[in-house]
Amino acid sequence: MAKVLEGPGMGLMKKWGINVPNYVVVTSVDELTKLGQANEWLKNSKLVAKAHEALGSRFKLGLVKVDLDFKAAEAATKEMIGRQVGSITVTQVIVSEMIAHTEEYYCAVKSTREGSEVLVANCGGIEVESNWERVKRLCLDIGQAPSQESLEKLAKEAGFTGPLAKKMAAFAGKMFACFDSEDAQYLEVNPVVVRAADEELVALDAVTLLDGDAKFRHPDWNFAFAAEFGRAYSRQELEVMAVDSKIKGSVKFIEIPGGDTAMLPAGGGASVYYSDAVVARGGKLANYAEYSGDPPDWAVEVLTEKVCSLPGIKNIIVGGAIANFTDVKKTFGGIINGFRKAKSEGKLRNVKIWVRRGGPREKEGLDAMRALKDEGFDINVFDRNTPLTDIVDKALQVK
Amino acid sequence: MSILANKDTRVVIQGGQAGVNAARRMAEFCYLIKRPLNVEAFVYPPDAGKTNEIPYGSGLIAIPIYKSITEATKHHPTLNTSLVYIGADRAMKGGMEALDDSHIKVVSMITEGVPEKDAKVLGAHARKLGKVFNGPSSIGIISAGACRLGVIGGAFDNLVLSKLYREGSFGVITKSGGLSNEIIWICSQFADGITTAIGIGGDAYPGTDYVSYLEMFENDPQTKAVVIVGEMGGDLEERAAEWYGAKKRRVKLIAVVSGFCQESLPKGMKFGHAGAKEGMKGEGSARSKSDALKKSGALVPPTFGALGPAIKETYQDLLKSGQVKEPVEPATLPKLPKTIEEAMKADEVMVAPLIRTTISDDRGDEPCYDGYPASELINKGYEIPHVIGLLWDKRLISKQEAEIIKRIMMLSADHGPCVSGAYATILAACAGIGLSQSVAAGMIMIGPRFGGAVTDAGRFFKYAVDNKMSVDEFLAYMKKNHGPVPGIGHRVKSLRNPDKRVKELVGYVKSLKIKTPCLDFALEVEKVTSVKKDNLILNVDGTMAAVLVDIGFPVDSLNGFFILSRTIGLIGHWVDQKRQDSRLIRLFDYLVNYAAPKRREVPPLK
Repeated sequence: MAKVLEGPGMGLMKKWGINVPNYVVVTSVDELTKLGQANEWLKNSKLVAKAHEALGSRFKLGLVKVDLDFKAAEAATKEMIGRQVGSITVTQVIVSEMIAHTEEYYCAVKSTREGSEVLVANCGGIEVESNWERVKRLCLDIGQAPSQESLEKLAKEAGFTGPLAKKMAAFAGKMFACFDSEDAQYLEVNPVVVRAADEELVALDAVTLLDGDAKFRHPDWNFAFAAEFGRAYSRQELEVMAVDSKIKGSVKFIEIPGGDTAMLPAGGGASVYYSDAVVARGGKLANYAEYSGDPPDWAVEVLTEKVCSLPGIKNIIVGGAIANFTDVKKTFGGIINGFRKAKSEGKLRNVKIWVRRGGPREKEGLDAMRALKDEGFDINVFDRNTPLTDIVDKALQVK
Repeated sequence: MSILANKDTRVVIQGGQAGVNAARRMAEFCYLIKRPLNVEAFVYPPDAGKTNEIPYGSGLIAIPIYKSITEATKHHPTLNTSLVYIGADRAMKGGMEALDDSHIKVVSMITEGVPEKDAKVLGAHARKLGKVFNGPSSIGIISAGACRLGVIGGAFDNLVLSKLYREGSFGVITKSGGLSNEIIWICSQFADGITTAIGIGGDAYPGTDYVSYLEMFENDPQTKAVVIVGEMGGDLEERAAEWYGAKKRRVKLIAVVSGFCQESLPKGMKFGHAGAKEGMKGEGSARSKSDALKKSGALVPPTFGALGPAIKETYQDLLKSGQVKEPVEPATLPKLPKTIEEAMKADEVMVAPLIRTTISDDRGDEPCYDGYPASELINKGYEIPHVIGLLWDKRLISKQEAEIIKRIMMLSADHGPCVSGAYATILAACAGIGLSQSVAAGMIMIGPRFGGAVTDAGRFFKYAVDNKMSVDEFLAYMKKNHGPVPGIGHRVKSLRNPDKRVKELVGYVKSLKIKTPCLDFALEVEKVTSVKKDNLILNVDGTMAAVLVDIGFPVDSLNGFFILSRTIGLIGHWVDQKRQDSRLIRLFDYLVNYAAPKRREVPPLK
């Protein structure tokens, strides 16, 4: 799943005929000033300015400002751009038109195993979350699109009446069209509001999750996907992602500040079991990492360098199951190069390395790892006869 | 018995190289269980009409490649299973093509990164047709002793270690590919091994889920217990629990779920598999899955490490109750023939080498010339002439010798466009011929009359010096046995119009105070011949030859100095013509003396 920031998310909705407020995404005040000269609405409407970054609780951080005139929007933009929040620097601000409204509603479309669901509620904002039973749903089979009647029925079930029921049905229909055509996995508008000016339904805030795997058939997805866990990706993470996008197989890396057990396991399945084992043993994860699908050794080397550079680590878990086709000798070659480089840069002092692996050329790979002992590494190497996560037990027992 | 994949499974593989690699692995398994290769066809339009050669034992089996599934099943009507190795952007079309063919009953998709929507449509289509769509992102399916689909099971040694050559009693269903092998191994070490292991893929919506496969295992009398390796995200494990708890089941269910670490990680952090994502309200969490499975009566070990003992416990119960018997291991198993490289590494074979080399070796991280690494030569100040010395005469020549060679090369790099070699290269260049062929055209001209006399000149001067001949004896010997002396005589230059290159080279070498017996002898020869005829002077070929013999180069290498140097010029001429975009050259009639008979009538054919 790939999260899309508000700007491009609203762009996609607009493409499918959903009313969204006017908005611009800017990277500097100058840009906003120029846009103000070109767009009447920026001068004539009340505005909202928000930091356009994958940040949680923006409101609390003062990164959302409402009810602004253009001057105030410029001031807010100036204040937000360049602000440092944790490891993230705000680089973009989205300035949008404030829509005067009274009522707030809810509409979402989500992917399910059986097909998809259209969700509608005649309350919105925070209210919907505390009144989840008021959300009515229409279940659709795989390949099925909702009919106008079924959507109207849904709207009526949710408590909409008269012309508003028709409008809500039409809105939900457009949401479904956007969801289906854009390979979305989740599309949520909360709130949907009635614009005082023309009584039309407008999407005020949107959550857009797209299927990143479908990017190949959406040439207009010219935006980057945002991190999904309330912060932007770090430089190290982005560097590993850049490598990942270039290779056969994959390498993944996510930092978890404050941990002391670094992870360098193989395989999407085993890596999670290794992380579980660390947590179960009372350890603190310093990162999540994974290499799989027989990636080239240089990619594994880059990943290893990132893992070795994590601050304050005491153990590195080089775990892995019995590989099907990942060449253990070759991928371990990348790890060994990464270790040597880290050591030559003065890293890995007082760091214990724990290895467990099986698979094609396991003996050669494990022997090469064992040989690192002679180069002064504190390394413990185990083969398939040691159960998968036992190295974590050993690592975290030793104090 | 087994499910999904058995002795009657006949496979078509859709895709290119990845599919070929899988077929090799599958052939290894077929060889282990002494059955014919189960792959009968490939579908890969770019190579349609050709074959893929799949090693089986020590031989190769040619498997035909077709352009469509329909064509493949027409030629191989027993095909019933397709493995999809097509790229994510075309996987949907390929999967549909296979499902729509009436022969194909099982489609397993290995492709990763298939859009979720496509996977859902494929799964729904298969259900509608009453077929099985497994995957995407599946590592494969393996039935011990019967059938392997994909690379699941890993390398040959692992197949043997995991006792996949004969049936056990445990079914395995995993999302993860790597862990499937781990579980198969655990089942073989803590119990009697597996019946069938299925990788369903780690995507959010696998085409076929745990429940469908549990149902199949339930109906397979050989399978006594099923091991599920789950992970957080989605509700497949909960559905499996629901199925297991719904009524008394014949099979025992053992399950582990990953993702407990989630509880102490940043919310929403995405893990390895696309499907491993917890919902917003905690549904799909490892804990909710694990609890549901426990409640259903399944055996749920607390950690992955405890899985082995849990499997062992279940196996012991099965043994005690008489539901399974200790397996009988076969006395011998086929050994996979080693490749020559593997056998040599193990000191098991000796191979008579085809060629022998004594000058260079690039098997390390860089080429070594006569044992010296190229980079070290560079860094220690050695130059091209030293490399020539190493590769042509296997010795590190002195600075002085290198200087001589450098001068020889500079003097013979080019001699204008009119000489045979350059002219041939230019002619070819103007005809639009490429660099290497045009240079080769010029190179072909090097022979007894142009540039190719160096070796012979060196050989005869050396012969004379070695045999302490006088100039007269030498000339008489040459006249009697060989004819004109190579290295003596020039078409244009003469005593009065000396060759500056010769003067330069002789002057330099003479200034070095080294012994030059051949050069001295050659100059003596010139004294005699040039008196007889003005242009019978020591030419540049002869001078080079004598000097090179004097500094110890083997006679057979001598023409090489001219060839190497002149290549510089020939390349220059080609580039020159190319840059000018020269037109095709055709001889003018007036440059030809037409001495053929005049036009006449052709007599009738007899």
